[in-house]
Amino acid sequence: MITFENVGMRYDMGAEVLKDVSFSLDRGSFHFLVGPSGAGKTTLLKLLYLAHRPSRGLINYFGRDLMTLEREALPRLRRRIGVVFQDFRLFDHMSAFENVALPLRIQGAKKAQVADHVEELLSWVGLEDRMHARPATLSGGEKQRVAIARAIINKPDLLVADEPTGNVDPEMSKRLMHLFVALNREGTTTVVATHDVDLVKSIGAPVLKLKKGELTHVPGGTPVDPGA
Amino acid sequence: MWGRTLQFLPTQKQREGLLPWVIGVMLFLCTLALVCGIALGSGLRNWSAGLTTNLTVQIVAEEADARAAQTDAALTLLRATPGIEAATVLAESDVLALLSPWLGDVPFDAGLPLPTLIDVQLTDPGAVHVEGLKARLIAAAPGAQLDDHQAWMSRVLDLASVVQMVLIGIVAMVVLSTVAIVIFGCRAGLATHRESIEIMHLMGAEDSMISRAFDERYLMHGLKGGMVGVLLAAGTLYFVVQLAREMGQGLITATLPEMTSLAWLALLPIFSAFITMFTARITVRRALLELM
Repeated sequence: MITFENVGMRYDMGAEVLKDVSFSLDRGSFHFLVGPSGAGKTTLLKLLYLAHRPSRGLINYFGRDLMTLEREALPRLRRRIGVVFQDFRLFDHMSAFENVALPLRIQGAKKAQVADHVEELLSWVGLEDRMHARPATLSGGEKQRVAIARAIINKPDLLVADEPTGNVDPEMSKRLMHLFVALNREGTTTVVATHDVDLVKSIGAPVLKLKKGELTHVPGGTPVDPGA
Repeated sequence: MWGRTLQFLPTQKQREGLLPWVIGVMLFLCTLALVCGIALGSGLRNWSAGLTTNLTVQIVAEEADARAAQTDAALTLLRATPGIEAATVLAESDVLALLSPWLGDVPFDAGLPLPTLIDVQLTDPGAVHVEGLKARLIAAAPGAQLDDHQAWMSRVLDLASVVQMVLIGIVAMVVLSTVAIVIFGCRAGLATHRESIEIMHLMGAEDSMISRAFDERYLMHGLKGGMVGVLLAAGTLYFVVQLAREMGQGLITATLPEMTSLAWLALLPIFSAFITMFTARITVRRALLELM
């Protein structure tokens, strides 16, 4: 579904932060992305969620060559990707409901349809009582669940999460990971960047290891065992 | 929230609160310059049209008898000339009244050698060949001088044209300054909301969708500013017109606009709103092109 071939990335005239990165993600696979700080995880995620074009190399995205894809085609492609940011990046002036509704509204969904979907999803992540709360009044775990709900509301083909458990306690961390696994079972290709070794071990999914901008371990993309 | 525009920009964190006021000041200056330019042009055209159907004959002769004889001869010639509707001798008191701005109140019997003035009304502006009439007048009354006001009028109209050009320049500069202010304001807004824009962008919002949120906001800034500016300008103009009507005569009142003829001013806030909106749209779209 997604293939990186000898991808390199540098910002402006700086040193390369990613070097000859090659891997592929199969449809419905689940991968962890691990590596020390400064290894290039965030840059790789940015390439995955189409925030940047690489400086060199080839990226095939849902069967389309990203390097030659015209800018006008990118928004449609981005709507097939859900992103969970480490710092949530929720709109502070909007309620949890409005934040989660945004991707559907961007797609032009009808108001009634948006309401049904958002209410159902917020209930699924256990926030049925906090729908109209603003992010400032939510706990870290609640914010993270709103961010996850926003990322998956339009049933993305690819879900990218940057340290999704970085700001929550171990119990919440476990619950969130089960949420990701459940989504993956539904067919969403998932990539989760994390520092949490225990978490990686507990899920047992394939791991992409980055060190100084290079992938040192590249497994084949396979779906997570439903029994995990 | 549920309109055609997906308004994702917060209302509380606005740093653009002063923008409508700045636009208002610009529109105020622009409106005054525009009205002055238009009123000056149309007023002088109307006033000069009145003068082109009017000639003045001046009979200058030292001796009163000779002046009277030449006046009779000139009147006879004028009244017999086709295209002349009326030729009337101005009373000495009227001549003194015309001279009073320069000489003050001169007594009627001061013994000043006043010329005789004949006011000539033409049937229409091109009814008489002025040079031919001038020659015939001098033949009939050697002390006669014909003034068709053209020399003075052309100087006044030249001056008016220059003033109009200056006013058009002022309007152009004010409009360009407003555009520059909106661009700066919009860039500041983009910097303030950069993160929100990036998130929308990453969620698949098209450039047009993001810029519409700014369009709507800047349209309202332009409309509010435009209304403030035009209302202030209308009030100022009303005050000036009333004051000038009480004070002025002739040329001043000729150039004063009728307030009812300024109804088009109501369109200026709409013009300002669209200028502001399109400036913001272009600025935002250019900035968005920097994102992938």
